[in-house]
Amino acid sequence: MKYVVLGSSAAGVNGVRELRRLDADSEIVLISKDKEIYSRCILHQYLGGKRTMERLCFAEKDFETLYGITWFKERSCTHLKPEEKEVVLENGETVSYDKLLIATGSHTFVPPVKNLKEAKNVVGFRNIEDMEVLKDAAKHAKHIIVMGAGLVGLDCASGFLELGVKVTLVEMAGWLLSKQLDKRAAEAYQDAFAGRGVKQYYGVGIAEVTLDEENRITEAVLTDGTRLPCDFVVVTAGVRSNVEFLEGTGIELSRFGLVYDETGKTSDDNIYGAGDVSGSSPIWPVAVKEGIVAASNMAGVPRKMTDFFASKSTMNFLGIPSMSLGDVNLEGEDIEVEVKKTKDSYKKILHKNGKIVGAVLQGDLAYGGILQQLIARKIDVRRVKKPIFDIDYSDFFHMKENFEYYFEEE
Amino acid sequence: MYRIKIDRSRCIGCLTCVTACVVSHETESTDARNRVVIDSETRPAPIFCRHCERPECVYTCMTGAMKKNPQTGYVEYDKEQCASCYMCIMSCPYGILKYDSIRNVEIMKCNMCVHRTEDGSANPMCVEKCPMQAITLEEVRES
Repeated sequence: MKYVVLGSSAAGVNGVRELRRLDADSEIVLISKDKEIYSRCILHQYLGGKRTMERLCFAEKDFETLYGITWFKERSCTHLKPEEKEVVLENGETVSYDKLLIATGSHTFVPPVKNLKEAKNVVGFRNIEDMEVLKDAAKHAKHIIVMGAGLVGLDCASGFLELGVKVTLVEMAGWLLSKQLDKRAAEAYQDAFAGRGVKQYYGVGIAEVTLDEENRITEAVLTDGTRLPCDFVVVTAGVRSNVEFLEGTGIELSRFGLVYDETGKTSDDNIYGAGDVSGSSPIWPVAVKEGIVAASNMAGVPRKMTDFFASKSTMNFLGIPSMSLGDVNLEGEDIEVEVKKTKDSYKKILHKNGKIVGAVLQGDLAYGGILQQLIARKIDVRRVKKPIFDIDYSDFFHMKENFEYYFEEE
Repeated sequence: MYRIKIDRSRCIGCLTCVTACVVSHETESTDARNRVVIDSETRPAPIFCRHCERPECVYTCMTGAMKKNPQTGYVEYDKEQCASCYMCIMSCPYGILKYDSIRNVEIMKCNMCVHRTEDGSANPMCVEKCPMQAITLEEVRES
């Protein structure tokens, strides 16, 4: 058996580990555009000088030898021949496989803003190469605009603050992290960023950018007509999956990305997928688990992905901890909202017919993990005779023979 | 591998285990890495890290700071590598994790008190100090 894995981030690396765990002898080839394994979720710490390249690595230092793989670095895959069971690399090389794992991730989406595609001084916030561009921009640019105030946009703003650079945030939604936070929790961050000199514009987008004769941005015009001086734009307004190389191969794609079932299998029996390439749940833990599940099935050990709950995140911008689960801005007659505030914390839990549907914790996240389970498993909490903010595992306590805990299926 | 067996019927909620945990880790933090909580029938429940076979905290860790040691089976935490993103706190299905209460930086994660032995084997102080033998160290098999 020869396994080929495309992509060396969360899904690919964990796929390789699982393949080797289950199959000690088979050949494993890893092909990646990246020349090193690094975590894209902590790039802002690299930009801010708080973390070296070495400490961006989330895998073992001797990954290649430890797992006994052949690793083709800095090669992107340009085409696939499912009938021949071959992948084609950009230099024309072909690599054959028996089972293929596609974990090629996604790339920065550049929104259709007038002149933005032509502009030279624009970059995303996704790859280590982007960080090198931004480190340079931090030295020269006077007016950096970050397009989008989601998790990545705020990572970017935080990284720049470490360098003493104050960016300007422009966000279409009414407040930052509008998918994750309610207005009140968002304001804690907005005030903190404002206090550090970060200008913020909400409820507006960038309508167009003005270019000079060398296609460099000199100004940004917002949708409300505001004109902002601008000599660099960082785009953090979403991603698109890396499936271009699959065009015309007959492998099923959706409008979001690669299509695969709960075992990770695509429309081709020998090809599996995992991670952001699906375009559906672009978060780290989903990529890791999908990588493990797909690899397990590739190695002949049946396993299914069961955890699709992806509306969850934690954050720690400017030293303010928050956790967001489910929908924190739901409204409606049957939605009950409970709020608990202390001097240092803000907690809000939304529930409906006894089931928690959303929660936001800020300032105090201790032991908050239980909430994710209650939401994802749709567990009725009415049998717990304690305040909703004090719910813990004690009322769900179950232990297996090997003393692991579990939740009883309802 | 070894896990801490919990016998709820013997637990009287005295919190000696929690104090022991603080003492065992006193050079690192002032917090406990375990807890005892009370259910709706006011019965105590010791909530201790299980060092899960499929550890959600490891799957969710984007820096590699949380790792399952394939030899011992213990889930180990490297505070130097940690980015304090708190994803593990959210991911622990049993609500066991939190960050240290002073700096909000380090995750309070059970290490089975391997720092207390020369050879790195488990020697949890909570187990040693429990007056009721409600928690005991037992060898278990992982599948």
